[in-house]
Amino acid sequence: MTRQNQDHLFERMTIRGAVDSASFVPWIRRHAAKLGLRQEIRHADAGRIEVEVAGPVELIDMLEMGCSLGPIDVWVETITRTPAAGGTGGQP
Amino acid sequence: MTQDAMIDEWYPVGLVSQLDSFGRKTALMGEPIDVASDADGNARVTANGRTLPVCVRYGHVWSSLGQPQKELFAIPEADQPGRRFVDVGVVRVRCSPLRAVENFLDIAHFPFVHTDILGSEPHTEVQNYKVEIREDADEVWATQVKFYQPQAARSASGGITTEYMYRVPAPTCSVLYKTCPPRPGEWDVITLFVQPLAEDLCDVWPWMALFDDESSMTDLIHFQQTIFLQDRSILENQIPRLLPLDPGMEIPTRADLTSVAYRRWLKRHGYTYGAQLVAQ
Repeated sequence: MTRQNQDHLFERMTIRGAVDSASFVPWIRRHAAKLGLRQEIRHADAGRIEVEVAGPVELIDMLEMGCSLGPIDVWVETITRTPAAGGTGGQP
Repeated sequence: MTQDAMIDEWYPVGLVSQLDSFGRKTALMGEPIDVASDADGNARVTANGRTLPVCVRYGHVWSSLGQPQKELFAIPEADQPGRRFVDVGVVRVRCSPLRAVENFLDIAHFPFVHTDILGSEPHTEVQNYKVEIREDADEVWATQVKFYQPQAARSASGGITTEYMYRVPAPTCSVLYKTCPPRPGEWDVITLFVQPLAEDLCDVWPWMALFDDESSMTDLIHFQQTIFLQDRSILENQIPRLLPLDPGMEIPTRADLTSVAYRRWLKRHGYTYGAQLVAQ
């Protein structure tokens, strides 16, 4: 069970699309930090970024909404969220 | 993406009912244009002597600085017998034309901006609804939007839970389908046609197709103008003035699903006139 308490989640967010932009990973880190979420980038290539994120579900929802738009030079096709296994969810 | 993708779109430039041979001097995307009727009474739009494409639909004259690749979007209800068609007129707003559409799509502001008309406290919750980009029509749609409204329409006599559907068929146009109090099973249609005068200035031309046999035309127009004038004060004070396509400054929430879908759709098409591309 990955739900740490009723409102806090630890999830893996998989972002697919034309995400081959050097600006996107730092953008995700900044956006997560603004929301006070703990995050760790687990994978990044031209078509897929995987980030583990921990925090209140409403704020993870907001990160997902923000990432679906992203910076102007990327195009996000889909975002899927799955429970992450173990860990503390990286750094805020 | 191309920077000029919006050039080839249709835009409202005036009311058909106000066409005359003297013409109306206005602007489209920063370029001065003249909207007049020719000797045969047909609409004619020119820019520095160049004749622009024209079509006449939904009570308005439409034109384009470029070469529209498709016909103006369809509103089937415009041909439905029994409806009253209302030219609301024009409201000039010092804001991005994209901001004007985005505001129209936002129901979360109803209780705070249109207090005791389209919303009221404590009924501020936006229930979950469905948003999609319909690939076949290439339009943004939001459906199953439900909200409590003290006076949903001019014809409403009390508060009701209103259901909405929003549709964005063109970058500066939105069509709202709304519960029709006097005729359950039908939808009232309220549109927002926005003429982009400049990137941060627009003329908003609302138009309606309603089932309402009781209200006077003056009352229908007054009701809708009241709503849009309330919106204007909000729109003219939004910062940044252009609509951000990078959400770095404005952090969207679940209630902003339609706005996010609209911005994604703009971004995908390169519809960036009136948009801020990089968060500042």
